[in-house]
Amino acid sequence: MTGLKHLNRILEWVGSNSALAALLVLFVVASAFVPNFFGERNFVAILYQYSIIGFLALGQLLVILTAGIDLSQGSLVAFTSIVVAVLMNRYGVFPAIAGGLAASTFLGVISGLIVSRTRIPPFVVTLGMLGVGRGLALVISDAKPVSVDVEAFTNFGRANLGGVPVSAILLVLVSLLLLYFVKYRRLGRHIYAVGGSEESARLSGVDVKKVKLLVYALSGLLTAIGGVIWTARLHSGSPIGANNYELESIAAVIVGGGSLFGGVGTVTGTLVGVVLFGVINSVLNLVGISPYWQGTVKGVLILLAVALSQVRRPSRLR
Amino acid sequence: MITVINQFLSTKSFDTRAVLRVLLVLVGLSALAAVLSGGVFLQPRNLVNLVLQNAGLIIVTLGQFLVIVLAGIDLSVGAVMAVSSVLVVLFQDYGLVGSFAVALAGSLVFGLVNGSLVTFVRLPAFVVTLASMQIGYSVSKILSDAAGSRGGTVYTGLGGAEIPQGFTDFFKDSYWGVPAPLFVCVLFLILVALYLRTSPGHFAFATGGNERAAFLSGVPVWVVKMAVYIISSLLAGVAGILFVSRVGLGDPQAGTWIALDSIAAASIGGASLSGGLGTVAGTFIGVVILGVLNNIMNLLGVPVTMQPAVKGMVILLAVYLNSSRRQN
Repeated sequence: MTGLKHLNRILEWVGSNSALAALLVLFVVASAFVPNFFGERNFVAILYQYSIIGFLALGQLLVILTAGIDLSQGSLVAFTSIVVAVLMNRYGVFPAIAGGLAASTFLGVISGLIVSRTRIPPFVVTLGMLGVGRGLALVISDAKPVSVDVEAFTNFGRANLGGVPVSAILLVLVSLLLLYFVKYRRLGRHIYAVGGSEESARLSGVDVKKVKLLVYALSGLLTAIGGVIWTARLHSGSPIGANNYELESIAAVIVGGGSLFGGVGTVTGTLVGVVLFGVINSVLNLVGISPYWQGTVKGVLILLAVALSQVRRPSRLR
Repeated sequence: MITVINQFLSTKSFDTRAVLRVLLVLVGLSALAAVLSGGVFLQPRNLVNLVLQNAGLIIVTLGQFLVIVLAGIDLSVGAVMAVSSVLVVLFQDYGLVGSFAVALAGSLVFGLVNGSLVTFVRLPAFVVTLASMQIGYSVSKILSDAAGSRGGTVYTGLGGAEIPQGFTDFFKDSYWGVPAPLFVCVLFLILVALYLRTSPGHFAFATGGNERAAFLSGVPVWVVKMAVYIISSLLAGVAGILFVSRVGLGDPQAGTWIALDSIAAASIGGASLSGGLGTVAGTFIGVVILGVLNNIMNLLGVPVTMQPAVKGMVILLAVYLNSSRRQN
């Protein structure tokens, strides 16, 4: 009898932490069977690559919590990288980073203004912003990559503290800050309120417009941080790169327990989702699956993830 | 004069007025283009080019329009077009008809998957089709890789069969002065207009307007939705076939902008993204407006790199105007 009780408890835990359970299983299996998976070099490589997606996912989480979506993230990464690269070659490191962060946040604010002030669905607004961000990146750079040769900056892309990449440490710090914000600050709690039921939130005195504006602006800012790190890693600004990064950030949020219908999702869950995708990506590469297959694998994973998110929501029609 | 126009309009239905309004926009833009180009715009050769450049888009947008009527969206149309174009070329060994069948069967699979996930699992359409877009582009690269082209363009069938000359000539042909692709477009315009007269077609408007009300009134909502997603993918498959006829090769990267363009065109044509609204005629005019807009941007020397940004803003504007119309 007690054995059954334990089993029940384990099943319950797996049900509510499916991403973490999947990550643990995958990690153990990959460590055992995939050559070169278990080792500092590979873990550091995963952290380098996926800390960028991590920043995007945190922004995406805030937007998804309000039942919105930000499809412009990939193109904003490219846009930020071009702004940073162009400014850096003229004015130095700090003006460039500040300019990149400001420019992407500005586009986020515009998305936020349109979403909060009109009835246009968020995915259309951010789809439009996807075109605008990509277009601006192409125009500013004349459709050519802009190289960055400021060593202080490109070294930052490879910097590490005791073997842990600085970008990953930065991601943890920002996550802690965000965790505090959404858990203990009034405005942060309001994000969940708006996502749970916009009408109830409005009637309870929540400034829905302000909350919506805030989440898109923060998504723009967090995306820009990812963009700055991306630029440092690439040693250049690229107007055509970072395609479909928003897909991975959306998938990470959903796999980590978020719901596209708003009000559900956590910072820690999202980070677990990001790491899970990092591990999956690493395994795909190490096993030697052709890059042509990776889109299919990721697409199927995203579909499975959103199907899971649907299980968490009661049916409306019947 | 104005009272006469108002009187005329007040006797017409909501849909007719909507079509007349987009027609007015088209006339205005065409006049602008004619003036900007010093009359070159109105020359038959330019108008023929306009049709040829947008033949695929017209067919894709018809499907997109049906999906949008359901308050859905299909972001996978470009990827399905790419898969179809690759399949047509790779299966040339089975003859033209055989290759068309394979390409359409491949497109059908996408329609079935999109439709089932949206209808039965009740997932948001844009997430499903965003994922199937990624899968589609990946599959087309896998196919091209399997044929030894390393994810690049393909020129001959798996067994080495060439694309028949007659097939690629078809796109440049004209009958009685009318370009051949235009006949294909008109054929599908008529087919879709007829489909809307059948009961599942007609119920698409009810389902898009209020799905729950439609369901409770006995509308077979699942049939309506499945049919529309399947039609959208099949039309994208047809556009892929036309693409091969136009450029003489299969391209795993074909149709990159076609999802965005078709949504823009359908929105400009008066379809509301909140569903339940829109007309076939308006959709057709929407595509032509987008074509004229491209033409004007080229005439004004707007850099190619800037054009997606302009299009993005046009979508926003059109959707905004339609969403405020819906409220009244």
